[in-house]
Amino acid sequence: MKEIALYALDAMKKAGADKASCQASQGRKDEFNVEANKFTLLRTLFDDSLSLKVLKDGKKGTTTINKLDKESVDKAVADCVALAAQGTPDEAEDIAPLATNRDFDQRVGGCDTAKLFSRAKEYLEQVRDELPKIMIEGMTAEFNANNTTYANTNGVVFNTQNEYYNAGSTFQANEGEKTSSFNYYYTNLANLDKPLLELGMQRALLEESVRSLNPRMFEGKHVGKIIVTPACADMLWYTLIDCFLHDFPMIQGTSRWKDALNTPVVHPKLTLRNSPLHPLVVGGERFTPDGFESVNYDLIKDGVLKSFALSLYAANKTGHPRAGNAAIWNMEILPGDMALADMIKGVDKGILINRFSGASPGPSGDISGVAKNSFLIENGKISDALVETMVSFNLVDVLQNVIGVSQEVNNDGYTLLPWVCLDGVTISGAS
Amino acid sequence: MLQDYLSTRRGDFKDYTELRAQVNTIQRVTLLSGNMTANSQEETGGVCARVYRGGTYGFASAAAYSADSVANVLKAAGDNAAFMDTHVKKGMPPLPRITGEKAGLRKFPGEAVNQSLLIDFAKELDALIVEKCKHLSSRTVISNVLNMEKLLVVSEGADSHFYQPRAMVYVFMTAETPDGDQVELLRPMGGFGHFDEYFTDPTLYLEEINTLYEQLMAKREGIFADAGMHKCILHPDLAGMLAHEAIGHTVEADLVLGGSVAGPNLNKPVASELVNMVDFAHTAFDKPAPLPVYVDDEGVPAEDVNLIEKGILKSFMHNRESARHFGVKPQGNARAFAFNDEPLIRMRNTFILPGKDKLADMIASVDNGYYLVKTGSGQADATGEFMFSVDLSYEIKGGKLGKAIRETTMSGVAFDLLKTVDMLSDDIAWDVAGFCGKKQLMTVSAGGPALRCDVNLGGR
Repeated sequence: MKEIALYALDAMKKAGADKASCQASQGRKDEFNVEANKFTLLRTLFDDSLSLKVLKDGKKGTTTINKLDKESVDKAVADCVALAAQGTPDEAEDIAPLATNRDFDQRVGGCDTAKLFSRAKEYLEQVRDELPKIMIEGMTAEFNANNTTYANTNGVVFNTQNEYYNAGSTFQANEGEKTSSFNYYYTNLANLDKPLLELGMQRALLEESVRSLNPRMFEGKHVGKIIVTPACADMLWYTLIDCFLHDFPMIQGTSRWKDALNTPVVHPKLTLRNSPLHPLVVGGERFTPDGFESVNYDLIKDGVLKSFALSLYAANKTGHPRAGNAAIWNMEILPGDMALADMIKGVDKGILINRFSGASPGPSGDISGVAKNSFLIENGKISDALVETMVSFNLVDVLQNVIGVSQEVNNDGYTLLPWVCLDGVTISGAS
Repeated sequence: MLQDYLSTRRGDFKDYTELRAQVNTIQRVTLLSGNMTANSQEETGGVCARVYRGGTYGFASAAAYSADSVANVLKAAGDNAAFMDTHVKKGMPPLPRITGEKAGLRKFPGEAVNQSLLIDFAKELDALIVEKCKHLSSRTVISNVLNMEKLLVVSEGADSHFYQPRAMVYVFMTAETPDGDQVELLRPMGGFGHFDEYFTDPTLYLEEINTLYEQLMAKREGIFADAGMHKCILHPDLAGMLAHEAIGHTVEADLVLGGSVAGPNLNKPVASELVNMVDFAHTAFDKPAPLPVYVDDEGVPAEDVNLIEKGILKSFMHNRESARHFGVKPQGNARAFAFNDEPLIRMRNTFILPGKDKLADMIASVDNGYYLVKTGSGQADATGEFMFSVDLSYEIKGGKLGKAIRETTMSGVAFDLLKTVDMLSDDIAWDVAGFCGKKQLMTVSAGGPALRCDVNLGGR
């Protein structure tokens, strides 16, 4: 890959680029597929990728192809230079400066195809025997291997050889004509040492689907507490980044936190990090698309905003520091001091949310959507599963009302997340 | 245009086999408050093979497309099919034979549209927005082209050569509310076709820009919806989302086999008698459908699927294997997005048929409720429970439109909601801007009339 990346860089310079970067990658995926509890497909994908960026007179062009032969690379280079010539000058555009070049070895010993199949088969058999009401609507068990090089005209060269397994399923419970809401759980894995059913929240979520076959509607409207499980990360944590911390809202100036760096923005019980280098994150980013070596960093520490999640371009555009990595999906929230059992005991009337079906909120942070795979909490105990129950809140406001963060943390190979109890959420049934 | 390295391998087919060469090209220009944050082209293509043996498939793909790579993926797919057949041992017989005539190109691939067309249009439209819309806190204009070319050779069924361009311009506007919050609205424009078929003169879109701006100005003064059940009028733009998310997904046969709530309801009432719903293949109302599909990626000639007739659930959507399971004829719903994707059961042009009511009469008929005008995204569940974002809506008080509403969400159980439909408008709208995200992305279209029904809204 290095040879191809350096060839493309040289070609871009010769074609007139002032600055240029290139990422070349070659990979293979082997993937078993299951539908409706049965194996259906084995896929093998041989993939190549080449992404080019040219800066010429402050103007940018980017080209991506999935070919690595010389003729295709030459054409992509010419296309990219031509694109840049048609662009608009923007002095915020740049590439990473030279630091320390590194090669990373993230291999896990290659694919054990027989064991991967055997673990997937074992999972299906265990679910069939132990949770017979569960229907595995879809399952993938896959192995990914990639060799990727980033290089730019400032002399930056990174390479990584990355391997990881990924396995998981989308499922629901069925009994006669009754069906639970679907749910899903996928994990990144460095090895296949454990049965898939025993990974993270997998078994718990399957069991909860079975308990959801006889749901009831939340009665009336109530403003109260919710416990957000690690399986529901998208409702709060990724939305937080999308709405307030990422490139778009910061460049647009619509982020409510655009002037809040180093000030308290959420409850001091919360510390949020992006941690692709955490030892429990499998296959995490080692260098950013901008060409910087990735480091873990705090977005929010003890409730204080410590960093935005900005690319090099957005950092130059806004005058704020660049983020330590671009792996926003490798979210880590530090555990709190409250046992999950005690957190549940502290809720008189509220809900436990495992999945959220709602749209991404606008810049205001107002969120509403359906609480899926969720359970009523009454008098400190989890009771019935819920259906047609909506939750509404403002993201900024509700994160001031953190009642507790659990001691327990779930790791799925991407994230490390605790359970979090929030107050001030409007819960309403359809009745 | 794709060269045919596929047909010559037909002699190597031992089991049911698909060979597909494909190229997807994407061009994109993004102006974020005037800053060109994207100026990009992407071309991804290659070849794949899928082989069916004994009840399971083997699949392989490669980015390289040549006579050699076709032979290699065909062998790799065969090896994978043999592995699965040996280890899974389903022992199923071959799929029922399909016949059909080769479908040739109806729209022809050409050179990529010059990027300057996308850039110039975005810049001119952006300038128009700056001139006309004085109270925005930010604006984004995105010019986007997605062209898809496929060459399909199957062991039995219909071969095809298919090309489909889609050109869109998305305009986002954001404004600050009196209390310092930000509200946003989106207007997608364009459709299936080449960029210069839609976007030559930005001033032709002035009315749409003005309307979007007026809606945003109303929304910045908006109030929050009252959470709970309400009598609502759904603008035709929401009918497509309802057809696709709330109903369409539940009647895809793979989800039916996975336990969807639609399974036990075939040939039973699932909606009021006013409701009829069709997944059009390539022609709707005597015109080409927005996303015409003539042959699917399993070589099945595409036909319309009548999903709901007078409130009765009549059909599911199938691939070849699910059609065999249910003992029906496949109608061309198996589609793949990228060259390295296997075909999945997907919707095409999913549509609730219009009624006879006038939209104005429908609004006037509601004493206390909401008029839901714009949606952004939606999700569905195996239970039939669905959720759509509602980005623009208005109160209805005494049959008249009142204040605009901030972002909210509507939800319900599809078949329950459909049973409350008691008025349908005689005018319709198609939504061609979206992607469906079921394992793979997929271009889809959907639409329908305005509906009067009972809806659960989020709010405060």
